[in-house]
Amino acid sequence: MYLPSAALANKLRIDQAVAEVARQMAPDVAYIRYEIGWDWSGDPAIYFRVVLSDAAADKRLREAATQVVRRLDERLDFQSMGLYPYHHFRSVSEQADLREEAWA
Amino acid sequence: MAFADDLLRDAHHLAARGGKNPKQSSLRRAVSTAYYALFHLLISDFVLNWKRPDQRVRLGRMFDHSKMKQAKFQGSKLTAVEADLEKVVAAFGHLQDDRHTADYDFGWYWSPSDVKNSLDMAGEAFVAWRAIRKEKIAQDHLLTMFGARRT
Repeated sequence: MYLPSAALANKLRIDQAVAEVARQMAPDVAYIRYEIGWDWSGDPAIYFRVVLSDAAADKRLREAATQVVRRLDERLDFQSMGLYPYHHFRSVSEQADLREEAWA
Repeated sequence: MAFADDLLRDAHHLAARGGKNPKQSSLRRAVSTAYYALFHLLISDFVLNWKRPDQRVRLGRMFDHSKMKQAKFQGSKLTAVEADLEKVVAAFGHLQDDRHTADYDFGWYWSPSDVKNSLDMAGEAFVAWRAIRKEKIAQDHLLTMFGARRT
């Protein structure tokens, strides 16, 4: 399966933005992974997988989630990249239980 | 209690089913129901403007989900009312995306935190909408969600 051209053209920019947001939001954000592909309707999309500390997921979930979405949005022009962004969240403990490779 | 409130309560009920080991089916239905709760909250306010109560259900059925999502509202230096409207519009878009993932992407595994984020977002949108629902800008936006061009 080939990736949207945006994946290669913007990889460095996306990597930098993701690293910056994760660093700024530590320790609430443990790390952020992303994947570029197609969504359920076949449109090019970028899926952000945000792993939050257990404390943040338990006590500050909406605040942390809103901040991550906002900061990524400020740094990345998804429209010009031709990518539709999706953001999903889970805690460190949830990922330890689920052990999904895409979230590791 | 209004239908939209019942749906939001149902979403929380579904998310809580199974305790610490919820089924994916319950979590997916919770996310989908949270979206429909906000959807019904908005269209119920729109159709109230229609004079004939017996025609309101038919009017509500004319709403198109994708057109509703395309009705954007963003800006800078927003007033309090505008900020609430922006929150509602953003939540509607996110929740519709989540609904599509929950209902159509069977490879996606939902965590309780992810579901809670969606449900809490819907709850915040309810509060924000109820604070502004009678404002002109909010009513204008409903018309845009219905499909009318902005003047």
